[in-house]
Amino acid sequence: MKYAFFPGCTIAYWLPFIEKSIRLVSAELGIELIDLPFNCCPEPNTVRSFSSESWLVLAARNLALAEENGLDILTGCTGCLESLALAKHEIESKPENMEKVNQALESIGMSYSGKKSIIHMHQLLYDIIGIDKIGEHVKRSLKIRVVTHSGCHLLRPYNILQADDPEAPIKLDKLVEILGIEPLDYMDKTMCCGTGTRRANREASFAILREKMASMTMVEPDAAVVFCPSCFTSFESGQKIVNRMFGTNYRLPVYYYTELLALAMELSEMDTVLSGHRVKGPLSAISPENRNLNQTVQS
Amino acid sequence: MDLNLELARIIEEARPCFQCGICSSSCPVYRVTPELNPRLAIDNLIQKNTIEPSGREWACALCLMCEQRCPTGVSLAHILITMKNISAQRGGAPSSVIEAIHSLLSLGVIAQSSGLEKKRSKYNLPQLQLPDHDQIKKLLELTGAIDILESHLKMEEIE
Repeated sequence: MKYAFFPGCTIAYWLPFIEKSIRLVSAELGIELIDLPFNCCPEPNTVRSFSSESWLVLAARNLALAEENGLDILTGCTGCLESLALAKHEIESKPENMEKVNQALESIGMSYSGKKSIIHMHQLLYDIIGIDKIGEHVKRSLKIRVVTHSGCHLLRPYNILQADDPEAPIKLDKLVEILGIEPLDYMDKTMCCGTGTRRANREASFAILREKMASMTMVEPDAAVVFCPSCFTSFESGQKIVNRMFGTNYRLPVYYYTELLALAMELSEMDTVLSGHRVKGPLSAISPENRNLNQTVQS
Repeated sequence: MDLNLELARIIEEARPCFQCGICSSSCPVYRVTPELNPRLAIDNLIQKNTIEPSGREWACALCLMCEQRCPTGVSLAHILITMKNISAQRGGAPSSVIEAIHSLLSLGVIAQSSGLEKKRSKYNLPQLQLPDHDQIKKLLELTGAIDILESHLKMEEIE
């Protein structure tokens, strides 16, 4: 399988260790990732809110670039998934939009016809590769308890994305279970992490995060597991700001799903990946050398 | 974008609303602040046929739980986005959004990071492929984003 890889600004610029884990896991599963000069997806809370027309045409440039290369797009960011999938829907369901974006694309020597699709890592792993196949690659049971948070833009709008149940998502729980992890049920599982309103109302955004952290920590998990880089940053870095603003004392480690998968697969370079975390988690990378050492001690 | 046409369109879209309030009780922003009340935003739109210059619509987190649960299928997210588009055309986008658009214009992306290559090379990642900056500028020009940016600069001068 081969995809045009769309890391998205947040992963590529701020969370490169997440990108590394996606590339490590993809290589192990035989997925080839092709890098293309994509622009910002564009981000809905800024660009689409500013001008829907600019949003649609810039998204069309990304879709056209993938089409030019004969590839479907694979992204690790739920915001990029939603933006591109929604733009694709807007363009392909309305002939006037198809005409409008092609007029604009013509000025930069590009065109779009709507043959290629866009999926998220979550969909690739659960819907295309499947739990059983992933299980075959698991070498180490991770044995922690977690709360999962799929991310608003993976779940809604459901009629277009159809990734998981928008009110009661279960697939990410199944994906962690196959790694030996226990997913815990918790209140407000589908509630927003607060990122979406951060630019417009900083205080409200961290108050939302406070509510979400309260729900997550109530069931005493070892960590939170996400599939969205903005949610990752919101939880991992944002909890310190919540602590300062509201006098709380949260210290919850956060993992992006492919990091856990890479750990369970015992892939190398995971020490470096985990060194990118600001809140140190309960899991460490076991290098093959250490593993041999452990076995020697046990025998 | 024709402002009056867009306004008329979202008023029509809002029409099926019977003010049950499930949008507000599902809204994470309304849960922590009265600043954004989706039910009232829709009510104002229908009752007054206009968008008030309060700028409150910018607080929408776009989590889409409101339209997921709306029993009459009103797309509140689309309505709020159109309200923001209209607000931006009137020079009302928040400065943090303007910053992001400037970054998009100059870099083709909205993220900025010092020492990017060093950060990426720590993880042996390939060099990031950047879009042709002239193409992005051209598309932003054609779709009116540059004009909207300029209207914000004029607003700043007046203030």
